[in-house]
Formats: sequence, C-alpha cells, structure tokens
Amino acid sequence: MFLLSFPGDLMEAVLTMRHISKSFFGVPADDDIDFDVRKGEIHALLGENGAGKTTLMNILYGIYEADGGEILWKGGRAEFRSPRDAIERGIGMVHQHFTLVGRLTVSENITLGLKSRGYPFTDRAYLDKKLEEISARYGLPIEPGKRISELSVGEQQRVEIMKLLYREAELLILDEPTAVLTPGETEEFFRVLRRLRSDGRSVIIITHRIPEVMEIADRVTVLRDGRKVCTEEIGNVTEEKLSSYMIGRQLRHIERQAAAAGGIGFSIRGLSMEEGGIPLISDLSLDIAEGEILGIAGVDGNGQKPLAEAIVGIRQYGSGTMSLRSASLDGMSVEERKRLGIGYISDDRHHDGLIMDMSLEENMLLRSDRSGFIRKGFIDFQKLRKETERTVERFAIKTHSVDMPVRLLSGGNQQKLILGREIYSGVHLVIAFQPTRGLDIGASESVRELLLSYRSQGCSVLLISADLEEIFSISDRIAVMHGGRIMGTVSNDGHADMTEIGLMMAGKEMNA
Amino acid sequence: MKQRQSSIASVAAIAAATIIFSLLMIALSGSGLTAALKGFARGAFGSSYSIAEVLVKAVPLTLCALSVACGFYSGFTNIGAEGQFYIGAVATTCIGMYLPFLPGPLLILLSLILGFAAGGIWAAVPGWLKARFGISEVINTLMFNYIAIGIVGILLQTVLKDPKAFFPVSSYMPEGMWLPRIIPGTRLHAGLVIALLSAAFIYIFIWRTWPGFRIRAVGSNSRACRCAGIGVGSSIMLSSLLSGGFAGIAGSVEIMGLQHRLLDGMSPGYGYLAIVASLLGGSNPFGIIAASIGIAAIQVGAQGMQRSAGVPTAISNIILGGVVLLILLRPMIMKAIGGKAHD
Ligand SMILES: Nc1ncnc2c1ncn2[C@@H]1O[C@H](COP(=O)(O)OP(=O)(O)OP(=O)(O)O)[C@@H](O)[C@H]1O
Ligand SMILES: [Mg+2]
Repeated sequence: MFLLSFPGDLMEAVLTMRHISKSFFGVPADDDIDFDVRKGEIHALLGENGAGKTTLMNILYGIYEADGGEILWKGGRAEFRSPRDAIERGIGMVHQHFTLVGRLTVSENITLGLKSRGYPFTDRAYLDKKLEEISARYGLPIEPGKRISELSVGEQQRVEIMKLLYREAELLILDEPTAVLTPGETEEFFRVLRRLRSDGRSVIIITHRIPEVMEIADRVTVLRDGRKVCTEEIGNVTEEKLSSYMIGRQLRHIERQAAAAGGIGFSIRGLSMEEGGIPLISDLSLDIAEGEILGIAGVDGNGQKPLAEAIVGIRQYGSGTMSLRSASLDGMSVEERKRLGIGYISDDRHHDGLIMDMSLEENMLLRSDRSGFIRKGFIDFQKLRKETERTVERFAIKTHSVDMPVRLLSGGNQQKLILGREIYSGVHLVIAFQPTRGLDIGASESVRELLLSYRSQGCSVLLISADLEEIFSISDRIAVMHGGRIMGTVSNDGHADMTEIGLMMAGKEMNA
Repeated sequence: MKQRQSSIASVAAIAAATIIFSLLMIALSGSGLTAALKGFARGAFGSSYSIAEVLVKAVPLTLCALSVACGFYSGFTNIGAEGQFYIGAVATTCIGMYLPFLPGPLLILLSLILGFAAGGIWAAVPGWLKARFGISEVINTLMFNYIAIGIVGILLQTVLKDPKAFFPVSSYMPEGMWLPRIIPGTRLHAGLVIALLSAAFIYIFIWRTWPGFRIRAVGSNSRACRCAGIGVGSSIMLSSLLSGGFAGIAGSVEIMGLQHRLLDGMSPGYGYLAIVASLLGGSNPFGIIAASIGIAAIQVGAQGMQRSAGVPTAISNIILGGVVLLILLRPMIMKAIGGKAHD
C-alpha cells in the first residue's frame, strides 16, 4: 500500500491520524478514520450533522480519548491528554461555540491561563503591543482593551484565532468558523487563512458550505455516518460531487410557489427601542401577511436581535404597537405572546434556546403550548416522550435516546430540536433568526421546505438571516435593515436588484 | 464506561482519604486509637438507644438539608436554614402557648402548616429581593439568620418566657402536641416519618410536576427560560418559599418531638450542617437522608469517643470540613485518576 502511494501523498504530512475509532454508548461516532494534514495546507472536513467531525477533532485536541487508532504529529507518535497538552505541542482549536469570557477584555481573554511577563502582575501594555504586532501581521484588526461582550460574533472569532496565534499554534482546528459570519466577514476571514497558509501553518476547517470548501481548501475529507468517504484534492472534485459524497444523494432544488397571501397576519407600527440612550431600533414598521415569508437582510448587529426579542416579548420596547391576527400584543408577557402562536428560533441556541444539561424530552417542555404534556400540574411523561420521539423522527435528529442531555448532541442536531419544538401546528408567526446556522445542506434544505409548508398553511414567517442566498431562496418580500431601521423593501419576484440591496445594507435609503 | 470507573474511583479515594485523615486526627489528639474507635462505634451503633439517638439528630438535619436542596434546584443558595428553623420553631411555640385548648392532632397539623409558612416567608423575602432586584441571596439569607436568632432571644426574654423559669425558655407545650415516640425507651419520635414523607414529597414535586420542572429549568438556564416564557422570578420565589418552609418544619418538629419547648441555642447549627448534608447527598432527597444519617452518626459517635477515650468532639467538625473540601475537589481528583475528561 505504501509503495503504491501517489506523488501527492509523499508530500510531508505534519499530522497523521490512523484508524481512529470512538463510540458513545456503543454507537460509533467515528469508525476507523484515517486523516492527514500537510504543512501549509488548508484541509476541509465536510459531513452532515452528527457525521463525527467535531468528535474527530476533539480526539486530536485531547478532549476525548479514542477507543482505537494512533496519532502522529510532526513525525512522532503523540497522545494529547488534554487541550493544554495539545496547545503546548502547537495544536490549537476554535470550538463550534466560542469559549470566551464576556466580562473580560480581548487582551485578558487571549492571555487567559498563561503566565505572561510580570505574572502575577501582568504587564498589559507589553502584551497589548505584542497582540497588535500579531494582529498587523495577519490582518486581524482587534482592540485589546475592549470587552468581549461588546464585540460582534465576527470580532469574537478574530479573538479566538488571535488566541491560537498568540500561543504559536502550527495547526489550527476551526470548527464551523464561518457559520456565524456574514459574507463580507467570511471573505475577510479567508484572507487571514491564506496568510496563515503562506506562513507555513496548517489549518483544518469544518464547514457545511460546499462553495466555501471549493474556494479556500487545498484538500477535502468527507465523513458520512462516522465513516470516511474520501480525501480528495480540490482540483479533482466539483460541488455536485462533494454534495453527493456528503449526503449520498443529489440535492433537490427548492421550488417556491408564488404566494397567495391572505389578510394581515402580523404587523408592527412605529417601533422604537433604545438601550442606555443609544437607539437600537427607530420608528420601524412592517407587515407580514398570512401565508407570507418576509426576509430581513442585513449585516449582523443592525438591530435584528432587538427586533426579534421585542416581538417575542423578551425585551421591552419604548414606543410602537404590534398585533398578530388583529390581536394587540402590546404589554403582553413572553408567555402570553407565545400562547397566541408565536414560535421563536433564537440565533443563540446555547443561551436562549436550550437547557444544555437537560434531556431532549425536558427541553421539549419549553414549547409554549405545553397543554398536551401537563395534566393537573403533573408532567405526562408518556405523551411527552411520544411527542419528542415524533420530533426526533420528523427532523432526523441523531441521538441515542430522548433521555440524553442535549449537551451531547452534535451542534446541528441541537438546532433541529429547537426547530421541532418551536414550529408545530398551531403557530401563526414564526420568528426564524438564523434558523439554518450550523445545519448541513440536507437539513437546511428541509428547514426551508418546512418554513415554506407552514407558509402555505397560512403562517406568517419573519426570516432573519445574514445569509443572502437563504433569504432569496424562500422569502416573498425582502426588507433590508441597517442601523435599526428598514431601508427599503423589495419584492422577491426574480427581478430584485442586487446592487440596490447591497447599497441598502450599507445604509443607503431607497423608497421602493 | 470509563467515566463510571473513575467516578467510583474518585468516591473511593475520597472515602479512603477521609478515613486516613480521621485516624490521623484521633492519633494527634493523643488518645488510644482502638479505644477511640470502640467508643465511636459504641456511641453511634452500640445499642438501640444509640441508634435512636443518631436518628433523632438526623431528623432535623434531613429536613434542613431538604430545605437547602429546594433552593439549590432553582439556583437559590440558601444559607439561612438556621434562621428559618428558629422562625418555624417560634410559630409552633406560639400555637402551643396561645391555643392550648385545641385537640392534640389539630395542634400538630396547625403547627406543621404554620411552621412551614413562617419559615417559607422568612426565606421568601430574600427570594423576592433576588427575583425582583437581583440582590444576592447568599448574604441576605445569612443576615436573616442573625435577625431570627435575635428575635428568638428577645421573645424568650419577654412574651414567650416561662415566668417560672430562671433561664430564657418558654413553658412546655401542651402534651397533646408532643409527637409520639416510635421506639419505646428512646427519644426517637414521629418526626422521622415527617422527614421521610417530606423527602418523598420533594422528590415527586421537583421531578414530576410542572412547577418543579420550572424550578429546575430556571436553576439550569434562566435565560432560556425567559426566552421560552417561563417566569424566572416566580420560580425563584416558589423555590425559596419551599426551601424556607422545610427548614421551618424542622424547627416545628424539633419542638413537638424533642424539646417540647422553645429554648435559646436549640439548634447546634443544623442549618449550616445541612449545607454539607445536601452537598454530600448530591441534592437528591434520598441521598440527603443517607448523608444526614451519616453525619448524625459521626457526631453521635464523636460524643462516644469523647466519653470513652477523651477525644474532643470538635474532631467531628474538622472531619466534616475535610470531607466537604474533598467533595469540592472531586472533579480534579477524578481527572487525576481517570486521565481525560469525558465531557
Ligand atoms: N459525549 C458524547 N456522548 C454521547 N454521544 C456523543 C457525544 N459526543 C458526540 N456524540 C454523538 O456522536 C455523533 C457525532 O457527533 P459530532 O459532534 O462529532 O458531529 P458533527 O459532525 O460535529 O456534527 P455537526 O455538524 O452537527 O456539528 C452524534 O450523533 C452525537 O450525538
Ligand atoms: Mg460539530
């Protein structure tokens, strides 16, 4: 086998993982996987939700211990007993869900856990200077003194990467780094990756977006159901080929039928909100008909989150009125609003959407209409289990049982559980905030189909997404948000002017 | 699988460390080891009387530890079981003193209900301050202990004082109100049954009912509860009310079952020891019963050790302190034994 190697395989592999296997509760998450990364290579890891990507990387990073197999790092056998171990040997990982401390500054986060010059009276000025050097070198603009909680997700991402560079990682493992980025930020981010590559560092990048793989990666490895399907040079594959490797079939193309929109479903008039004197939303009005999907396009952080939270009732609003099917929502609590049939998919599943330490079943109890699960104050576990199992089946959630803590589900499967909980018969309005973030292409496709099918049943949908392609694929109308205001609304009839939308996203007002 | 092994190993390690530590302490105190251990065993398990004594102590401890756990489920750290215990005791004393003409069973029932209510309200005040204004309950519940103990002191010098007694104690409760003894010849009373029933009630309430689920959910992720429309404040209030309520019942039971009158310093720190018992019992009602009996045995055994070998009883507190420390360090111990974390 070694004698028959192709020339490509002779290139120096800095990391080799051989025959790696790992099971949880007797079910294999990774099954006999071979994987290698060369020096100065960007290697993409592709696979559906629950295919075993994160698990494989966690094994490499010393978080999990493999049941079998071996790891070679820079020519020698290596076993990393903990992330600290891996970091010391030059391997760094940015997790699917960030691990920064919100109250601390950028610089404090980056040096957290390290004994820096002057320790324990750390010489901040010196560190900040060093950080600025690294930041200039790789084109990662950051402000060391800012608090993490003030940063956008894109900026937090930069901090995570800076953290690895500061620790001089030679191999960077990035678990779904682009899921949270806007297209512009992604471009920026890829420039950084290329600079890292030309610097001789290696990168493993996990993503669900095939076009991104084609754009940035040198090679790609595809996993399916815990097994390796193949490793290929990017030059030897096409997008279609990759997607069929990944899901074992061709993607359907979503057909959006023209809407037969009904009466006014949901409307907002003159909504204004502020926080600490800074306006978040100013005089915003919108209407969504019954059976209509309104897409909100815009760069993250332009008031989308306050808007969603105001509608659900999580945030108070200073002025403005809202109504759902001509019932006024003003002054109602979250519970009362959701009772009227509002489903909410938050963009932050770990904090807003799920109770990580509770089981799938118990998380199902967070659904607003729990009348079916509760009898005389007692939880009807039989019914609850039935409904949870139905959801697991309908959304193809990969799990060993509905008793398992949600924490142990893969990221995409966690998202599917929220969808199954929030979108059910009886909702009249769905607030879908980044609903497909972290979902694989097959699952994203079914979510979009689900939203469309609810639309055809007369449900109003507010789709907030930084992913323009997603907005265009299912919205009936598209509103562009900037600085807490709606800059303009266009009909998505196939003639929408992309330049116009781009201009509005950048803050130019249009009167369409 | 491996996780279970290292979990068991860590418990074994803690147990071993505790035993070695205890023996060391006894040896340090300069007494004979065998005599001390014999004294300990005889003190705690030597006769039906000594076993009953252990259970007598375990009753208020269990109820107070259940109280701590009830708060813990919603993230309400109740350091105030001690004060709530006294407030419950005061409520019971008042009933006995002012309504002595009522039939015994009715007095007992009324005492339990009012003891629960009084202790519950005493804890619900810090609960409300936390739910409404986000003020830390840790400091507040602790401060409320001092207030409660102060109130007991004042009442015992004034309205509740037995005029015939020299010390600040109340007069005896009407005998109809005394809880029956369940083993003749010992001090073990029916409070044991109340404690066991309370544990079963809490278990069912917290794990089987909707309000119980809300309490657990808020304790686990209050932000997600807010987004889902589950009242965070009301759940914290309910949990603090329950929490104080069971400490109040502990005070009530201690009066009706054991002391039969209110006296200063009636609790040897049950409210604080309860935090240890709750931690040891893993906040599980049945675990708490076991932990409380264990702690009571150590304390009663330590008295036996003092009698027969002159080992100071303070040793039991030192040992308990060491155990708490080890339990808090358990994740580290587990890691050291088992290698990697398994999530
Ligand atoms: N600690 C664990 N205990 C039990 N099962 C686990 C654990 N970690 C992962 N799994 C299971 O292993 C499988 C693979 O999970 P993994 O997180 O590696 O998927 P993934 O490829 O990263 O998916 P995603 O794209 O959704 O993030 C999943 O079915 C998951 O539920
Ligand atoms: Mg993953």
